[in-house]
Amino acid sequence: MSEPSLARACAALLRRDLTLAWRRRGDIALPLLYALIVITLFPFALGPDNALLQRIAGGVVLVTVLLAMLLALDAMFRGDIEDGSLEQLVLAPQPLAPLLATKILSHWLTTALPLIVLAPLLAGMLHLATTALPALLLALLLGTPLLSLLGAVLVALTAGTRRSGMLLALMLLPMCVPVVIFMAGAVAAAQQGLPWSAPIAWLGAALALLLVLAPLACAAALRIALDA
Amino acid sequence: MSGKWIPLWLHKLGSPPIFYRFAGKLRPWLLTLALLLGAIGLYGGLVLAPADARQGDGYRIIFIHVPSAWMSLFIYGVMAFAAFLALVWRVKLAEVAAMQSAPIGAAFTLITLVTGSLWGKPMWGTWWTWDARLTSELVLLFIYLGVIGLYHAFEDRRQGARAAAFLALIGVVNVPIVHFSVNWWNTLHQGSTIRLLGPSTIAPGMLWPLLTMMAATKCYYLASLAARMRTDLLDLESGKDWVRKLAVEAAQP
Repeated sequence: MSEPSLARACAALLRRDLTLAWRRRGDIALPLLYALIVITLFPFALGPDNALLQRIAGGVVLVTVLLAMLLALDAMFRGDIEDGSLEQLVLAPQPLAPLLATKILSHWLTTALPLIVLAPLLAGMLHLATTALPALLLALLLGTPLLSLLGAVLVALTAGTRRSGMLLALMLLPMCVPVVIFMAGAVAAAQQGLPWSAPIAWLGAALALLLVLAPLACAAALRIALDA
Repeated sequence: MSGKWIPLWLHKLGSPPIFYRFAGKLRPWLLTLALLLGAIGLYGGLVLAPADARQGDGYRIIFIHVPSAWMSLFIYGVMAFAAFLALVWRVKLAEVAAMQSAPIGAAFTLITLVTGSLWGKPMWGTWWTWDARLTSELVLLFIYLGVIGLYHAFEDRRQGARAAAFLALIGVVNVPIVHFSVNWWNTLHQGSTIRLLGPSTIAPGMLWPLLTMMAATKCYYLASLAARMRTDLLDLESGKDWVRKLAVEAAQP
């Protein structure tokens, strides 16, 4: 029996996940709607003071995107656990880590990428200076995959449990503190007109590291969580 | 001969009934030592040690605060080491040790945060500041709580212990990164204006009660861990023969 190569298996998995996500388009829209609602609430809570909103815009957008991603994180493996296809993935002849990396990629494409596309609108609603927009988008492009990768490890750890929503937030918070600091650092520096390449470089370095390590950790965590 | 003696001794201690008896014998001694050293250390710190030149008597909370802060990190180290043993060699006793260390470590972290806050109010004029050390300690508390929460989220306790052990190991990598990034973050906006007393500049009259308190907290941790592990082992092994024998022995007058 000839086994399909790893690249073909990953491509098939990616196509399957994206098709499934497209068939349930409403679920993709939910985090976007959530982010819009949260951003809309800020001016009501803080008062329509443009200078104040402009000052906090970068941080508020970053935290909103993070929370919206956290909302969708729980669903990363849920459907696959319920219908048993995750166990099939563990049993597949191909190594588990690259397959999980593909799943993380498809999850990032369906939840984080729409949020990044929406980010200029969110930033505009809070009057973020357009000069800080490139820093914001680059920080999101490097930072959201980091959150997806970190989140995937934690989601894999909770795969064998029933209730995981609040627990996931508790576990993710310590992990995402450095990511948020560097993302916000880049945006804050850009807002003040300072060079912002250093925090972006840190994010890129962390992403390069986690792209290799997180799928391996995710596979190990999944084996622990599914081992009955 | 000696090379064979050590593994055998360790293997025997790794068996739950033998550890149960050993921990039971050790616990009263550790607890007595902890209380004794704690009494000496507190008397030395609160009565004998000289008042600080600038902070007066207010600094004396250091004799609770600093030993607790040391313990919060030390217990995390012990927990991570036990977690490593539990994951690699699947030692049941290491799983129990790691999971029973977590609540004690979380308690010490909470004590550190609360006493630090109480100390900060008169000295810095605020209950809380987003200083690098304070923030790292808070993140450490969240990691402890995450480990405890994950452990209890599983129905199968051994599986929960292994998952939580994995999270504890991720935390080992995470804690230095958090500390470093928070340091960077706080120095970006403003330099830290508050520095705690350096350990080398402390007066000897203040140092010995501090070290005594450190030994006392270590003994207390070991005593508490022994008690918690004994209880947990009874629960985990409740169907086993040795537990049944213990119960029968306890029931006889």
